[in-house]
Amino acid sequence: MNDTNWVLVGIGISGGLILLLRDWRLTVPALLINYGCIAAFLAQQQFLAADLVISGVELSSTVLVKVITGFATTSILAITALTFSREYNQENLDEFSLAELRRAARRAQRERASQPFHLGDYVVPFWSLVLAGIASLALPRLYPIGSYEVDFVWYWLGFTGLFTLVTANDMLKIGLGLLLIAGSIDMLYTAISRTVQIFPLAMLSLMTIVLALAIAYLSGLLFSRLKTLELNELYKP
Amino acid sequence: MPYLLLIAFPIMMGASLFMIRKQTQLTLGLACVIALAQIVLVTQLPIDTPSRLLGLTLTLDPLGRLFLITFVAISALAFVIAWMLPHGEHFAPITLVMLGLISSIIVFLQEPFVVALLLVSVGLVAVLAIIDLPTGSRQLVERTALAAALKYLVMMTLAGVMMYMGFVLVSIYTPGEFPGRISPAHLVLGLLAIGFGLRLAILPFHSWLPDLARETFPMVSVLVIGVINATSLLFLVSALQFFPVIVLENARGLTVLMWIGAITAVYGALLALAQPEMRRMIGALLVSNSGMIIFGIASTSIKGLTGALFESFNQLIVLALLFVAIALLERPDGRPTNVVRRDLLWRWPIAGAGLIGGVMALLGVPPFGGFASKLLLYEAAAQLDGRYLALFLAATSLGLVALVRLAQNRLLGPPEEQPVDEQPVLLGTTELDRPAERRLDPEPRGLAIVTLVLLGACLVVGVFPQPIIATIAEVVQGLTFVRA
Repeated sequence: MNDTNWVLVGIGISGGLILLLRDWRLTVPALLINYGCIAAFLAQQQFLAADLVISGVELSSTVLVKVITGFATTSILAITALTFSREYNQENLDEFSLAELRRAARRAQRERASQPFHLGDYVVPFWSLVLAGIASLALPRLYPIGSYEVDFVWYWLGFTGLFTLVTANDMLKIGLGLLLIAGSIDMLYTAISRTVQIFPLAMLSLMTIVLALAIAYLSGLLFSRLKTLELNELYKP
Repeated sequence: MPYLLLIAFPIMMGASLFMIRKQTQLTLGLACVIALAQIVLVTQLPIDTPSRLLGLTLTLDPLGRLFLITFVAISALAFVIAWMLPHGEHFAPITLVMLGLISSIIVFLQEPFVVALLLVSVGLVAVLAIIDLPTGSRQLVERTALAAALKYLVMMTLAGVMMYMGFVLVSIYTPGEFPGRISPAHLVLGLLAIGFGLRLAILPFHSWLPDLARETFPMVSVLVIGVINATSLLFLVSALQFFPVIVLENARGLTVLMWIGAITAVYGALLALAQPEMRRMIGALLVSNSGMIIFGIASTSIKGLTGALFESFNQLIVLALLFVAIALLERPDGRPTNVVRRDLLWRWPIAGAGLIGGVMALLGVPPFGGFASKLLLYEAAAQLDGRYLALFLAATSLGLVALVRLAQNRLLGPPEEQPVDEQPVLLGTTELDRPAERRLDPEPRGLAIVTLVLLGACLVVGVFPQPIIATIAEVVQGLTFVRA
C-alpha cells in the first residue's frame, strides 16, 4: 500500500469524474484537482531542475506556471458557469429576436422540468471510462515512449479528454474534454521531449487559457441565445 | 529586431482598434492603412537572415515573404470590402490580431512546436470572427453559426494537438532505434495526416468547411479558409523539411496520403454537384481542391509541391473573388426575398461573371490562374500513376458539371424583367389602380470594381504565372525531402 502513487490516483480519479459526471459543480472542481495533481506529478518526477524554494519545498518554476494556468483555466470556466448568461442588450433587439429569446427560455424551462435523473445517461460515459482505463493501462506496456507512469498519465488524459468530447452533451463539457487533451500534450512535451524550451511551454499555458476563454465565450453566447448549454438545442430546427 | 515588429505591430494595432470598434468606417479605414504599412514592413525585411529570440529561430524565406505579402494584401482588400458590405463589429481588430499571429507563424516556421500552438491560437481567434455580428445589429447570432463555430473550434484544437503530439514523437525518435518494431515514423505521419487533414478539410475531416462557407461573412470565410489554410500548408512543407525522417521512412504512408488526396478531390466535386446553395457548393469545391493540394505535397516531387503551393496561392485570390461575387449576388435587390432568383447574371452581370470566372479559376480552366497550378499537379499525378490523373480529371469534370448546374439554376434563367406589352387603359382606371413601378437597385459600383480587379488578377496570374512559379520552384528545389 505504501507504493501507491497518490498523485497518479488523483489524476486518474479526477479525469474519470470529468468523463463520467454531467454537473459542472462537480466537473469543474475535478478539473482543478486534475491540474493540481499534474503539477504535483511533475514536481515528484523532477523532469525539470528545481529553481525555486517555496516554504522549504524546492520546485521548478514550470510547475508553478502549471498550477497558475490550471487555476486561471478553472476560474474562467467556473465564473462562466456561475454567471452563464452574457445577456444581449435586449433593448437593441428587434421584436422577432425578443420573441425568439422568450420562446427559447420557455423551451429550456420545459426541457429542464421534463428531464429527471436517468441512470441510462451514464451508461455510455461509464463504458468509455472503462475503455479509456484499459487503453491507458495497456498502451504504455505495448508502446512505451517514456516511463510507465508518464505514459499512463498522458494516455489517460488524452483518452478521457477524447471520450469526454465524444460523449459531451453540453458546451462546457466539450471545453473540459479539450482542456484534458491539451493537458495530455502538455505532459507529453514536458516529460518526454529531449529539449524542453521555455517558449513552447509558455505557449502551451497561454493556449490553454485562451481555449478556456473561447469556450467560456461560446458558452455565454449559447446560453444567452438558447437559455441552455445543451448541444442538441443547437441542432433543432 | 524587425521580425518582432512584424508580429507585434498588427496585434497592438488590433488591440487599439478594438477600443474604437463601434466607429466602423474609421476602424476599417485605419485597419486598411495598417495593412498597407505592414506590406511595406514585410518588403523591407531581410530575407534568409535568421535571428534568435528566447532560444527560438526567426527567419523569413522568399516563399514566406510572397505569401505574407499576399495575406496582408488580401486583408487590406477585405477591409475595403467590409467598408461596403456589412461585417462583424470586431472584424478589423480580429483580422489584425490574426495577421500578427500568422506573421509569427511564418517567421517561426523553423519551430514546429511553437507553430502548432500558434495555429491553434489563430483558430481560436477566428472563432470570434465566425460568430461576430455587425455593429448595432438587432438580430441574434444564428444557431447554425454557433454550431459552425463550435465545430471549427473543436476540429482546429484537435488538429493542433495531433500535430504537436506528432512533433514531440518525431523529436525523440532516432532512426533504427527499435529494429523489428513498427517504425514510430508511421505513427508520426498518421498524427500529422490527421492534424493537417483537419486543418485543410481533407476527407473525412472536411465537414467544417462547407458549414463555415455558408455561415460566416464573406471576408471572414476568405481569411479563415484561404489565409489560415495556406499558412498551414507552408507549415506542413516546413515540418517535412525539418523532420525529413517522416518522408524517408514512410513511402507507403505517403502513397496512402496521395490516394486520400485524389479521392477527396473526386468526393469534393461530387459533393459540389449535390449542393443546392452557392456557398456550400463553393465550400465543396474547396474540399476538392484541398485534396489535390495534399496530393501535391504527399507526392514530394518538385512539380507536385510547386503545383500545391501555387494552387494555394491562387486559391487566396479566387476565394476573395468568389465570396465578393456571392455577397453581391445575395444582396436584396428590391424583389421578394422568398423567391429563388434564377436570373442573377442578368440582374448583377459583373457579380455573376465574377462567380463564373471564380469557379472556372478554382477548377483550373484556362486562361485563369488555377490552370497553371492544376497543370503542374496533373503532371505530377501523370508521372506517378495514371489513375491519379484519371481521378483528378474526373474531379475537374464533375466540378464543371456543378458549375453548369449552378449557372442553369441560378444565373442564366430568363430575366424576370421581360418587356410587357402596354395594357390598354380600361374605363374607370385611375393612377392608383396601376401597379407601382419597381425600382431595382443598380449593381454597387465599388464592389463591382473590386470584383473586376480580382477577376483581372486571376487572369494576370493565369497569363503570366512564371514569376510566381519561379519563386516557389526555387524554394521547393532547396527542400531536402523532395524526390528528383
